[in-house]
Amino acid sequence: MKQERSLYYAENMDRLMHRDRFFFNNPVFMQGLGLAPIVVAATNLNNALVLGFAVLLLLTPTRVLAALLSRGNYLRFRGVTYALTAAVLYIGVWFAANALFGVGIQAVGLYLPLLVVEPIIIKRYERPQKERVPTALRKGLITTCGFLLALFLVAALRELLGAGSLFGHPVTVRPALPMAQLTCGGFVLIGILAAFWRWIRNLFKRVVSMEANAK
Amino acid sequence: MTILRPVLAFFVYAVAAIAAQNAIFTRALGVSRLVKIVDDGSVELLKFGVLLTSVQFLSSLLGYFANRLLAGFSFSYKAAFQPLVLVLCSVVAFFVVLLIVALLGGKIAAKDYVELLPMATFNCCVLGTLLLTTLGGYTLAQTLAFSLGSSVGYVLAVLLVNEGQRKIQNRNLPATFRGLPVTLVYIGILALAIYGFTGHTPAI
Repeated sequence: MKQERSLYYAENMDRLMHRDRFFFNNPVFMQGLGLAPIVVAATNLNNALVLGFAVLLLLTPTRVLAALLSRGNYLRFRGVTYALTAAVLYIGVWFAANALFGVGIQAVGLYLPLLVVEPIIIKRYERPQKERVPTALRKGLITTCGFLLALFLVAALRELLGAGSLFGHPVTVRPALPMAQLTCGGFVLIGILAAFWRWIRNLFKRVVSMEANAK
Repeated sequence: MTILRPVLAFFVYAVAAIAAQNAIFTRALGVSRLVKIVDDGSVELLKFGVLLTSVQFLSSLLGYFANRLLAGFSFSYKAAFQPLVLVLCSVVAFFVVLLIVALLGGKIAAKDYVELLPMATFNCCVLGTLLLTTLGGYTLAQTLAFSLGSSVGYVLAVLLVNEGQRKIQNRNLPATFRGLPVTLVYIGILALAIYGFTGHTPAI
C-alpha cells in the first residue's frame, strides 16, 4: 500500500468503517439488513437478478422521496411515510420487473412485495435526525451497491454449493452442499460470510495500522 | 361436532404458524428486526410482543376484508397494488392501536409503547403474514388464527434467540464470529431443527 494512502486510511479509519456501506459497513454482512430475501429467496442467480433489479429501483427513490415528504413529519409517524412511499413506488417496480422478467418474478414469491417494509429500504425512519435529500440520494445509492454485492455473492455461492450450477448451467457433477438451498443453510452460510467479512475488515485495519506506524 | 370443527381448525392453523411455519425459522420474516432487537437489548420484549400481536391481528382482519373487496374487481395487475392495500391496512391498525394505548395507558406508559409501535407495525412478519393469508386464500377464521400464531411464533423466536445469546456470546468464541455471525448460525441451527421436524420447506 502506498505511504500516503495508508496514512490517509489510518487517520480516517473510523469514518471509513462507518460510511463505506459498500464493503466495510456492508448493510447485509455488517448491519444485518435485508436478510429475509437473501436467506430465503436468493437461492440462485436468476432469483438474485429479480430481487436486485427491484431493490435497485426501489431503495434510492424511496429514501429520497420519503426524506422529502417527512420534513414536517412527527418522528413517530415517519415510519408511515416511508412504508407508504415504498408501497406506492413498488407499483412501478412491479410493472418494470414484470415487463423484464415475466413469470420469473414468481420465483421469488412474497419476497418481492415484502421489500416495501424490508428494513434495508425503510429503516432510516427510526433515526430522529431528518435526512437531507442529497444525503438520502448518496446513501441510498451506496447502500444499494452494498446490498447487490451481498445478494449476488450469496446467490452465486448457494447455487454453486446447493445445485452445482450458475445461472442454471451445470458447473459441477453433483452439488457439494445441498443444504445451502434451504432456509437453514442460508442462515448458516450468511453467518459464516459475515464472520469472514469481519475478519477481512480487521485484517485491513491491522495492516493499515502497521504500515502507518512503520512510517 | 359442528362447533368443535372450526375451533379445531383455528387451533391447528395457530399452532402451525407458531411451530411448523414459524415466521423466523421457516421463512425468515422479520429476521433483520429480530437481529437488531437481540443485539440492542434495550427493547422490552413483552411490550413489543403485545404491540406486534395487536397490530398483526387487526391488520389481518382489515386485510381479509380488503382482499374480499378487491376480489370483486377483475383487473389483472392486482399483484402490483396488493402491498399498498396491505400496508394501508397496517397503517389503519397502527393508528387504532395508538389510540387504544393513548386511551388506556397513562402518559408515560403510552410514550413507551408508542416508541415501539412503528417497529412492531412496519415489520416483515406483519406484511409477510398478510401476504401469505392473501395468496393462500384463507378464510376469516384461518386468517385470524394464522396471524395470531405467526405473531406469537415471532415473539417466541425472539425470546429463544435472546436466551441463546447468553450462551453463544462467550469468550471462547472467535472474535470474528461474535455478534451477528454467531446469531445467524444459531438461528440456522434452530431452523434446521424445524426443518427436521416438518421435513419440507414451506412454499414462498
